[in-house]
Amino acid sequence: MFLLAIKNLFQEKTRFLISVGGVAFSVTLIIVLTGLYRGWNDKLGEYIRSVPVDIWVMQKGSEELFHTPSILPITLDDELVKINGVQSAKPFNARRLAVSSGGQQFQLYIVGYDPAQNSGQPARVVEGKKVPGPGEIIVDRSQSKKISIGDKINAAGRELEVVGFAEGGDLVITSFAFTLPEELNKIQSLPDAVNNFWVTLNPGTDKNKAAGDIESALPNVTAVTSEEFVSSNTKIVSDSFLPVILVLVLVSIAVGVAVIGLTIFTSTIEKAKEYGVLKAIGLKNRQLYAVVLKQALIAGVVGFGVGAVIATLLGASVSQYVPQFVYQIRSLDIAWIFGLTVVMAALAAYIPLRRLARIDPTEVFKA
Amino acid sequence: MIEIRDLSKTFGSGHTAVKAVRNISLKLVPGDIVLVMGPSGSGKTTLISMIGTLMRPTGGDVLLDGKNVTELSPDKLADFRLNNVSFVFQSFNLIAALNAELNVMLPLLAKGTSKSAARQNARELLMKLGIGERLHHLPRDLSGGEKQRVAVARALVNEPKIILADEPTANLDSKTGHEVMQLLCQTACSEGRAVIIVSHDTRLKDVAKRVIIIEDGRLVKEERGNHEANCPMEHKHARP
Repeated sequence: MFLLAIKNLFQEKTRFLISVGGVAFSVTLIIVLTGLYRGWNDKLGEYIRSVPVDIWVMQKGSEELFHTPSILPITLDDELVKINGVQSAKPFNARRLAVSSGGQQFQLYIVGYDPAQNSGQPARVVEGKKVPGPGEIIVDRSQSKKISIGDKINAAGRELEVVGFAEGGDLVITSFAFTLPEELNKIQSLPDAVNNFWVTLNPGTDKNKAAGDIESALPNVTAVTSEEFVSSNTKIVSDSFLPVILVLVLVSIAVGVAVIGLTIFTSTIEKAKEYGVLKAIGLKNRQLYAVVLKQALIAGVVGFGVGAVIATLLGASVSQYVPQFVYQIRSLDIAWIFGLTVVMAALAAYIPLRRLARIDPTEVFKA
Repeated sequence: MIEIRDLSKTFGSGHTAVKAVRNISLKLVPGDIVLVMGPSGSGKTTLISMIGTLMRPTGGDVLLDGKNVTELSPDKLADFRLNNVSFVFQSFNLIAALNAELNVMLPLLAKGTSKSAARQNARELLMKLGIGERLHHLPRDLSGGEKQRVAVARALVNEPKIILADEPTANLDSKTGHEVMQLLCQTACSEGRAVIIVSHDTRLKDVAKRVIIIEDGRLVKEERGNHEANCPMEHKHARP
């Protein structure tokens, strides 16, 4: 009866296109939202993942870089290296600032990059000088639409020249930038303090145990593994973005279900007499349910295909014009969205199926 | 053999009860052609709905080869119809999205016959009924007579024991209607199928072996039809 489902669908091309369009709209929205969520999540954790650190040490009560500032004494490194398993402890200093350049105002997360200690370095420098000198700064390439190499940036009254572009430091609404620790100290005015310490462990040392040992030895600090620190920093995306995504995904599902449901329902009503004829011929209700269900599923699957193509094209093109449109989709996401579409189509078929069950085959005798 | 025993149908209950069919009994053997006539509202369509197992009677039984089918479950009734009963309707009731060939193939596909076998059977039957050149036309592209021939082919393709035709000539001109009914009855009786035709069209007496008249849900009269005189392709089946 697959044949009948196909023929019924294609007999009413306009209705079929409306169904496909509704599903495609829903699928596009769900894929794009999921892609943005993944993209933002990835961007926020990208720099932290790139640095060769086993444990991040911060002031007790701090959890991540962006909203819970940490201030620690600069001499804490001496105590950290005494703890069993700790190989080195390097200071990490960073501050988020509103800066201006060429009349434009934007924010940068300026990190103190100490080439001698190899701490606070960019993930990868892709253009210009690899290491900034005095009065110089390397910014993330995501800012390249606002500033160019050679431009001057005014940060808290200090002028810094852009000498290079790095990658892997895009934070969507801001980005990392790298200057010498001395330059950052002039901006921060905290000469005896540091924000965090990067701790490297001796080979074979258990990270979780070492983090626990650090917290036991130094009661005023929090120590977390780099993986936990990535989670803490990306949690803000999950906490603020996921509920919004969930609501929009539910709206998308409702739109998809309503569009397929209405088109299949009206088709079922219009073809009630034909379904009555099929019942009279001897088709069982479940065979007729299969016809309607297949119609909904075909509309759903075709709509999914169209939606996936639109979302891919959007993902590839919009990010060129809107830097915040950081889109990243995984094959597993596509798989669950496909599953969701199938569920959506099955849900949409429910009301038409109930109507179908009530069709009286004796109606076929009416002229 | 198909036997209808004291078949009754009452719609509603109490003061509003309407007795549409009252204690009708009938026997049909293979090759029988029965014309059911009567005024509008006399219960003709209700009667064939019950014989075709589309409607459950409130009294009486329908027996096929001695087996009572009125108490079967909905799925078993569907199977029963698929294997034993076919319908020809006044307004043809072809599936609009399917071409002539697919409309005829439909009962076979529902039965689980392979697509190639179903196609071959459908083509042979449509050729026999004179519309072999219209196989791939959709119902909207067929004339009334062609549609009814497709409907007849669909009714015959499953080799049912009984064919129920409801006003089959009402939407056809007299010549086409007569041709289609000749085809249906000749094919049915040559293949040993029983046919019940509900109609107001008195000319159909020419193709019927028996004519029964129903009034107010009662069988009031039974007479002979003119089948033998007009159907030279006689069959071997005896009348009960």
